[in-house]
Amino acid sequence: MMIYVLLCAVLAADDPVRIQPPAAEQVRFFETSVRPVLVEHCVACHGPKKQWARLRLDSREALLRGGDTGAAVVPGKPDESLLIRAVQHTDDDLKMPKEGKLSDRQIADLVRWVETGVAFPETPTAGRPSRDPNHWAFQPPIDPPVPAVTNSDWPQSPVDRFILAKLEAAGLPPTEKADKRTLIRRVTFDLTGLPPTPAEIDAFLADSAADAYAKLVDRLLDSTAYGERWGRHWLDVARYADSNGLDENVAHGNAWRYRDYVVEAFNRDKPFDRFIVEQLAGDLLPAADEAQRHEQLIATGFISIGPKVLAEVNEPKMRMDIVDEQLDTVGRVFLAMTLGCARCHDHKFDPIGTDDYYGLAGIFKSTRTMDTYIKVAKWHENELPSAATTALRAEYEARLGAKRQAIADFVAEADKQVRANLGPEAEPAENLATLYPDATKADLTKHRDELTALEKSPPDYPAAMGVTDDQVIDVAIHVRGNPLKLGEVVPRHTPPVVRGAHISQFTPAESGRRQLALWLIDPEHPLTARVIVNRVWRWHFGKGLVRTIDNFGLLGEAPSHPELLDWLARQFVAGGWSFKTLHRLILNSSVYQQSSSPSAEIAARDPENRLFGRASVRRLDAEEVRDALLAVSGQLDATVGGSLLKVKNRGYLFDHTSIDLTDYTSRRRSLYLPVIRNNVYDLFQLLDFPDPAVPNGDRAMTTVAPQALLMLNSDLVMQSADDFAGRLFAEPGNDEQRLSRMYVFAYGREATPRERESGHAFLAQVDRALTATEPDAARRRRQSWNVLCQVVVAANEFIYIQ
Amino acid sequence: MPFEGFGSHGLHLPISRRQALMKSAAGFGSLALASLLTESPRAAPAAGSVDPLAPRAPHHPARAKRVIFLFMSGGPSQVDTFDFKPLLTRDNGNPLPFDKPKIQFNSTGNLLKSPWEFQQHGASGLWVSELFPNLARRVDDLCMVHSVYGTNPAHGGAVMKLHTGSDNFIRPSLGSWVSYGLGTENGNLPAFVTICPTLAFGGINNWSSAFLPAAYQGTPLGNASIASDQARVKYIANSRLSREMQRLQLDRLYALNREHQARTAIEDSLEARINSFELAFRMQSELPKIEDLSGESAATHALYGLDNPVTANFGRMCLMARRFAESGVRFIQVTHNDNKVQWDQHADLKDGHEKNAREVDLPIAGLLYDLKARGLLDDTLVWWGGEFGRTPTAEGNNGRDHNPDGFTMWLAGGGAKGGLRYGSTDDYGYFAAENKVHIHDLHATILDLLGLDHERLTYRYAGRDFRLTDVEGNVVRELYA
Repeated sequence: MMIYVLLCAVLAADDPVRIQPPAAEQVRFFETSVRPVLVEHCVACHGPKKQWARLRLDSREALLRGGDTGAAVVPGKPDESLLIRAVQHTDDDLKMPKEGKLSDRQIADLVRWVETGVAFPETPTAGRPSRDPNHWAFQPPIDPPVPAVTNSDWPQSPVDRFILAKLEAAGLPPTEKADKRTLIRRVTFDLTGLPPTPAEIDAFLADSAADAYAKLVDRLLDSTAYGERWGRHWLDVARYADSNGLDENVAHGNAWRYRDYVVEAFNRDKPFDRFIVEQLAGDLLPAADEAQRHEQLIATGFISIGPKVLAEVNEPKMRMDIVDEQLDTVGRVFLAMTLGCARCHDHKFDPIGTDDYYGLAGIFKSTRTMDTYIKVAKWHENELPSAATTALRAEYEARLGAKRQAIADFVAEADKQVRANLGPEAEPAENLATLYPDATKADLTKHRDELTALEKSPPDYPAAMGVTDDQVIDVAIHVRGNPLKLGEVVPRHTPPVVRGAHISQFTPAESGRRQLALWLIDPEHPLTARVIVNRVWRWHFGKGLVRTIDNFGLLGEAPSHPELLDWLARQFVAGGWSFKTLHRLILNSSVYQQSSSPSAEIAARDPENRLFGRASVRRLDAEEVRDALLAVSGQLDATVGGSLLKVKNRGYLFDHTSIDLTDYTSRRRSLYLPVIRNNVYDLFQLLDFPDPAVPNGDRAMTTVAPQALLMLNSDLVMQSADDFAGRLFAEPGNDEQRLSRMYVFAYGREATPRERESGHAFLAQVDRALTATEPDAARRRRQSWNVLCQVVVAANEFIYIQ
Repeated sequence: MPFEGFGSHGLHLPISRRQALMKSAAGFGSLALASLLTESPRAAPAAGSVDPLAPRAPHHPARAKRVIFLFMSGGPSQVDTFDFKPLLTRDNGNPLPFDKPKIQFNSTGNLLKSPWEFQQHGASGLWVSELFPNLARRVDDLCMVHSVYGTNPAHGGAVMKLHTGSDNFIRPSLGSWVSYGLGTENGNLPAFVTICPTLAFGGINNWSSAFLPAAYQGTPLGNASIASDQARVKYIANSRLSREMQRLQLDRLYALNREHQARTAIEDSLEARINSFELAFRMQSELPKIEDLSGESAATHALYGLDNPVTANFGRMCLMARRFAESGVRFIQVTHNDNKVQWDQHADLKDGHEKNAREVDLPIAGLLYDLKARGLLDDTLVWWGGEFGRTPTAEGNNGRDHNPDGFTMWLAGGGAKGGLRYGSTDDYGYFAAENKVHIHDLHATILDLLGLDHERLTYRYAGRDFRLTDVEGNVVRELYA
């Protein structure tokens, strides 16, 4: 603080000739509070293009030199500075800017800027290292040779050679292979999110074939649970949620179709390039049959499921906010770049300009995400046409028609009655209905109410959140992101800094989503394949080869193994973008099968495990904790797919009453529990489930006391412990046998003699403590087991994978 | 080279702490330890040294040590409470003589005078309407800011803006920034609690830590649909097992974990998780003590209105807030919200505001009195207000619409100047006019009173240094005592 004050004093000194680089704080202040004002309000007339009154306001020298009426600023003396007098409207003949007075804050900022010496660093133009277009991630991947290694016994796959080469260069040996029990537990959780069953463990231990492990990997990749686990990884980056969140937390009643689509895509090993095209442009693709058409429409849910401010009163802002969210998501998910920054100004660090941003924004502005923008705004859903839907609609329309006809008949009959009563000579009344008897009036009202009710409740035609093309337009640059201040119109285009991929041609006939997708899946695209193989690596190893999983830009980290990253990217593309092939490549390597207990040397010399010279211990994810609790207690319901949301589509999950309509009592896998933005299931929140409002490929890992409270006191854990104990009692046996089974179920291993001994001792201790409240010995024993089972599932060995 | 891009910290912590902060977050306090076992010993130093909630020195001398935020959900009307407008009374029924804002939530008609009389009170002579007879007696402690303005005319956006500084992105809430900046004085309690918060309009995002480490998130006690005597921290109590039984479990758990640790030979250990159970156990006994108001005297109960069904619910929250403040909790929010968005009187202004004011007037006056009597008001900043104010023009014939363009909030204690009237709206109370104070300015000022420089309290995330006030915010030093 003191230094800051001193610097301000120095800079405020009236000494325009001294050239001294401004302090960082000054620069920051200038860049955030002053330059934007000058650019937006002054430089158009006093800058490179026009120099009204022969004045320019785009450099310090120009300001000091001034124009026709003298210097624009006197450093340190705002009162003597014409610029300040002009914006303050001090003098009647000099009021700037012409379009209206600046805000008080903007004026105050300019005053402060002049007071503190008029810091004016040069424009951060392209070519500065921070916006380096030659950054590694923008260049196509190389095709690296597989390196030679000294220890030729260790590598089982080329992956190992890349890893081992670096370890050998560092003079470090890899860690020995993990034992079979550890391996099956690790790889089963990794690929399915579930613990291995005792039978699966036994089978693997009994299989002495050389390819026993490879067969295990194949079996797991073929299981439905694989898609449920790996689909969930994708849902993290797709910011999947079953409610909108933000201001109006209404149900995404049809989002589950997208979730099921993702699970299915992983289970069927849909090639990633195809997966991308479907998610970005499925509605624009030809389909061989109805099922494929549905699948492709559902896939575009990816674009639509982001959070939206549905009660935004400023409609142009809402439109651009939605476009921004989609654009930023596409950037982070596929390119690992933060494009959102360029909405208001050229990206500070990456070579992405506002023109690039609005070039992409045009694609999404030409896409129909919303049906209305009037609060509360409604998102678009694509109907999923089928014979069944057609029949349903026909049946409904028939019912409507019948009801309308019935009313018409009723009215005709009532009119006839009225006329008959009036006699033939009577002048017919304007509205005969007024003359109906009361009972007839009541009946008619009843019929009409029934019709209204029917009209208001059409059947739920199957539909999916998703998009379609809208009027195709190019978008103008929004100056400082302001939808009311438009600059130059930018043709739709992909950022030119990303090299290698062929440039798509955008036409007036289509929004350009298909072209965007085709650009992304070009085999020479430098980011798409690298970003996804890095994600897959992260999901297997806990860290990426590039550790900043969602940021490959200039502020991201460089890859620890650039050749391996490129080799994997090349292999992935050459192998038809197949995830399962990539998994096999990685899982069958020696590097994956290492033990997590490293030698002292490795632990000391590579404490962060940057060289992957050992396996990383990992805590189970939120879903795995819950699924494992249900699995060991024998309560897991393995039903696949569908929705558990109890609130109807577009209904409020949370309104102003704060009444909680969520329900997490299901025993289905955690994947199927509704993901409610703003109020994620508390167990998930506590265990680092990512914020479903933003893409996240790198879940956090925290240890906080409320997690312990959850394990100690929550109904889920208490009930699971009881069920677990019940399962142990379901088979005949004594405590000794139950102890043995408990360890196998919970930890996938036999109890040691010491553990048995202390288990017995604990049961006896609890039994004694319960004597006062529970006289029945059998019930007491059973309760003691509940208490013990809770401890076992709360323990680190249950929660952490070696 | 360790990657510094993520955890860079405006408080200039040593690298090890920064890294630990990024992944560990040892819960409410004392223990800690980077929990990622896969991390290096360097990134996970000995237990205790990386407690993300350890008390930290502010940037500059603090005037306030903690905050109690009394959030009036729905938006109380400034022209019916504290912002006296004689011309509004005079011109009742006439059109507003200038343009309404370009963007409005609903459309409104002509000027509507306040149904309540205003009077000047105290030595300061601040105006208070008859809605707040008890608070009126404490005006000399209140620092009235009549020129607050925001940007968003809808509840969702405005509530999030007020709590997090952003109405369209998910950002850490003010309480989280304060916990991040200052830590907590009581390791057995959360640093940031929110009592009966509303789950609508951003819900949890209003007390979440967003990209800040989880240790800084607010801990909710119940929510707005739950009576305050039922409001508890989730999972704080066990419905079946006695404390003695849980102690047995913890001892067994400790042994199991130690054996596991010995067998797996992981040098970093699962120490953090082992300790977290002990802390949870302590919290389990500590929190209910604060929630239990039975030890407070009858006089105190009466002071907060606990003896009256009209004031008891909010009074209990206020009394709990005082007890949390006393126990060293850094940021305490109390929300006044019912199942109709409490202060949102689009219609039925007369009855609605009267009912709302009656529920909070006495408890708030009691809280201020009590804090002062205990010497806590000097370093506890009390902050009152809603997400916006209301229009001086009528919606229907007995209602007012949302108005983010000019409204009143007040501060008390914690270095704010009592009896001050700062800023003003126009003659009718529609737009902030003199000495305008944006929500960002208020945030900057609150941080500044706590000794934190809003421009230096930053956190690097996704390649950018974020702060509560984004690129805005001016400290309003004129509010200082």
